[in-house]
Amino acid sequence: MASNAGAGKTGLIFFPAFDWAISPTHPEREERLLYTRDQIFEEGLMDLPQIEEYKPRLAENKDIARTHFCVPDVESQVTEAHLIAAGSTLTLADALEKGEIRNGFALVRPPGHHSMRVVHGNRGFCNINNMAILVEYLRTKYGHKRLAVIDTDVHHGDGTQEIFWHDPEVLCISFHQDGHTLYPGSGFVNEIGGPQALARTLNVPLPPGTTDEGIHYVLDNLILPILEEFKPDLVLNSAGQDNHYTDPLANMRFSANGYARLNEKLAPDICVLEGGYAVETALPYVNTGIIQAMAGLDYSHVREPDYVPGAFVQTDAMWREIKKTVDQVNEAWAKREEMVQMARESLGDFYRRKKRVFYDTDMINESQEESVRLCPDCPGYMTITSSAQRGYGTLNNAFCVSIPRGACSSCREDAKEEYEEHLEDRRIGYVYLQDKDRDKFKFCNNMTHTQKGY
Amino acid sequence: MKMLIGIDVGGTTTDAVLVDGSRVEKTAYVPTDHNDLLGCLLGALDELVRGVDVSKIERVVLSTTLITNMIAEKKTDPVALVLIPGPGTNPQDYNLGQSIILDGAIDFRGKEIDRLNESQIKDAAARIKESGVSRVAVVGKFSQRNPAQEEKVSQIMSQILPGSKIELGHRVSGHLNFPRRAATTKLTLATKESYARFALAISRALEERRITAPVYILKADGGTLPLEGSLQMPVETIFSGPAASIMGVMALTPPGQTSVVVDIGGTTTDLALILSGSPLLSSKGARVDSMLTHVRAFAVRSVAIGGDSAVDVAEDCLTVGPQRNGSPFCLGGTGPTPTDALRVLGRSSVGDLERAKEAMAGVASRMNCTAEKAAEMVLDSVVEKIASQVNEMFREWEQEPAYRIWEIMKKEKLEAQNVVGVGGAAPALVPLIASRLKVASIVPEHAAVANAIGAAVARPTITLNLHIDTERGEYVTAEDGIMGKVNEKQMSLAQAEQLARRLLVERAGRLGIEEYAAEALVTSSEVFNMIRGWSTVGKLLDVRMEIPAGLLSSWRCT
Repeated sequence: MASNAGAGKTGLIFFPAFDWAISPTHPEREERLLYTRDQIFEEGLMDLPQIEEYKPRLAENKDIARTHFCVPDVESQVTEAHLIAAGSTLTLADALEKGEIRNGFALVRPPGHHSMRVVHGNRGFCNINNMAILVEYLRTKYGHKRLAVIDTDVHHGDGTQEIFWHDPEVLCISFHQDGHTLYPGSGFVNEIGGPQALARTLNVPLPPGTTDEGIHYVLDNLILPILEEFKPDLVLNSAGQDNHYTDPLANMRFSANGYARLNEKLAPDICVLEGGYAVETALPYVNTGIIQAMAGLDYSHVREPDYVPGAFVQTDAMWREIKKTVDQVNEAWAKREEMVQMARESLGDFYRRKKRVFYDTDMINESQEESVRLCPDCPGYMTITSSAQRGYGTLNNAFCVSIPRGACSSCREDAKEEYEEHLEDRRIGYVYLQDKDRDKFKFCNNMTHTQKGY
Repeated sequence: MKMLIGIDVGGTTTDAVLVDGSRVEKTAYVPTDHNDLLGCLLGALDELVRGVDVSKIERVVLSTTLITNMIAEKKTDPVALVLIPGPGTNPQDYNLGQSIILDGAIDFRGKEIDRLNESQIKDAAARIKESGVSRVAVVGKFSQRNPAQEEKVSQIMSQILPGSKIELGHRVSGHLNFPRRAATTKLTLATKESYARFALAISRALEERRITAPVYILKADGGTLPLEGSLQMPVETIFSGPAASIMGVMALTPPGQTSVVVDIGGTTTDLALILSGSPLLSSKGARVDSMLTHVRAFAVRSVAIGGDSAVDVAEDCLTVGPQRNGSPFCLGGTGPTPTDALRVLGRSSVGDLERAKEAMAGVASRMNCTAEKAAEMVLDSVVEKIASQVNEMFREWEQEPAYRIWEIMKKEKLEAQNVVGVGGAAPALVPLIASRLKVASIVPEHAAVANAIGAAVARPTITLNLHIDTERGEYVTAEDGIMGKVNEKQMSLAQAEQLARRLLVERAGRLGIEEYAAEALVTSSEVFNMIRGWSTVGKLLDVRMEIPAGLLSSWRCT
């Protein structure tokens, strides 16, 4: 969908972070992309004229602050590995925008799609959201307005969903194994976005055991038609690989060929690797297939050693469930304008919600109160009061203010006032002002009265 | 005294030097006749050793374009390529020419994941027999992790094709990259016999001249290898010309510095980098003809510009190159060239001054300026082209992919300290290039024979890449597919390095360079724990050792 037809190559960044792990036996460990390295190097994919390999760069702290409120600051939440993984997506974005490549795949770790707007620690193996950072970069640097993120990881892309919850210009569709049966336990059909962006977040929970056929049904009958209507500038794929039938952490039955075909049909402008922990039995084959599909190469020779075509069959009950879900989601999509209008009429000047976030990796409990101004002239400024606890003690309290792109002067003034007011509040450790409109980010440590900016 | 001889058979001349310790004692050259490389080589040698006591010669090193020419002129022997590609890329997507595809597959761990089909192999052999080809390259994906299928195919085929030469991929290269392994194996087999004939002729010729010193050949990575040891890997000798020049520059400039090597010829200029004293290798392997190989070679960038490049003016715009329309005007050619410009400005004394002026006056009349001004513009254009390519080389080096955090964090920005010129037009042009790049200009005393000096004083290189899988209890070396057993599931990196050193010494022995083995260093080693479920089931260890390109210790830069 991008206007980059001039360059025919697929940009590839392979950054396996062979020297980074959450812990020695954690699924997110050094070995994760080792066999993928062996496979794609042995295939000689990087030498093919259809593929151009890029070296990753480090994302800047500002790129992170544009998306996240890292508590207390960006430096204490990210390691070099995170900056390189996020920076890889930005390198590909630049190459795409310069017309050097037709599409790109950031085959990088650590992953990101469980990271939300406020970051107190690691959740779901993720500290910062590579995909969301890419989206914000594409909008700020290249002025893109409409973007679509399709999350094809087996886990619900709850972080990406939360970050773009109120944003009608970013369509987030996630299909995943039903949250009743898998981390993070969310992503149900009724999660459809904030009042101004209803049905711009769409969730397709699928029954455990869903096969290639089931996932391609969702693609053909829901995702592709909706993309056709939404007409995004770019389509981005949060390309997790744990729907694979051998993944040790999930229960789906997707194949390498199914993944390759999905990417051929979806034709994403940029793919970003998320999860996938069948390091030996799936990843080498799935990644090879995705690269080939993106580069327009023949992927029909990619086959897992134990794959038997036709071995996985969905029961009638599963089919009924999948079709029903697709119908429900399509219905929500069809009524999106209507729903937004109704919501605006029924709500006052502000929309508020409370929520709790659990950081499974770091065992942190966060409670949040979020408020968005329903402004008639702009997307409205947002504030978040966040309190994180670990064990019986409070870890950090933060107050976050976000000024949206295209903010009206009244929202800008009010947002700044909110920030200033909280600077004196000794109950809050850190106060943040994220000005997306002017691309300026600052925060204050209330205990030491020191301000810093990116 | 240690008398060393270096001979480089170059594109236009064959240069020879006699080095005594760290002194260049004598030089000689003859024009190169591409139809008689051996003759040129011996011609230069004979001239060099005239009046020299040949019994004092300790080593002879040759750098030859034999294999490069054979491949370029498509005079290689026909080879049937048999592939066992397994799952993955469609073999048609590789640029390997015709091939026969067999069933069977090995995975990245060396497990057999698909069986061979015996009758299919027999059919393939019968087809090869029918076509009359008697050389067969058998290459399997991941054969370096488990060569059993390649060996089985070879065994079956050799029964049907008695007397045929069969080369197996895992013995040629064990580095990851199946299509490069296939290309390298095919080229090895296609050049091996001619190379062996050439090597034999050299040995005989030296014997006739009573030169008993060992003969070495220069490889594309700047290392020397005994002639005998090189018979197994003729393709390694491609591009030994540029390698000789780069080694020559290393020998003639202060050690440890970062230099740009500029070899200016008639129509092309070759650029190479020496980074903090080490010549930059191309990150993968060399491109030979249109095929990508596993041959280690220096990164050389050819720019289509040189002393004979045609100067043209179109719509007030002056261009130099890339085409050549014959000799420079001052040497009897038909059109203006950079050589004429150099002559007009007094930067060189090559050619007739009056004719050079006439050539530049022609350019000047179309540019509305003086002949001197036109000559300056010509040189400026040449210098600009070369300087921008030098910058591009540095940029490319900085942008080479990296797969570990430390590699990305530590990569410093290097800047050139010197531009070093070799080749005929170097003394006149290199100072201009250096001043454009704002670095020192070096044109060594023996710049014209730097290539032969490089050959004379280069030391052997060797690599050893060891891959150990303790869960499978196996190790394998990438260089020649030597396999063995390991019993220690929890092998340490130190133990792995010990094993690597032992294997390197053995390999050096097979190549005839055992006396250098002690100079090898571990250049990278890493270990991955293999976790299945939540427990460690084994380790994957990779150790890389090498003697990088360098100079004999007897040579001291003077």
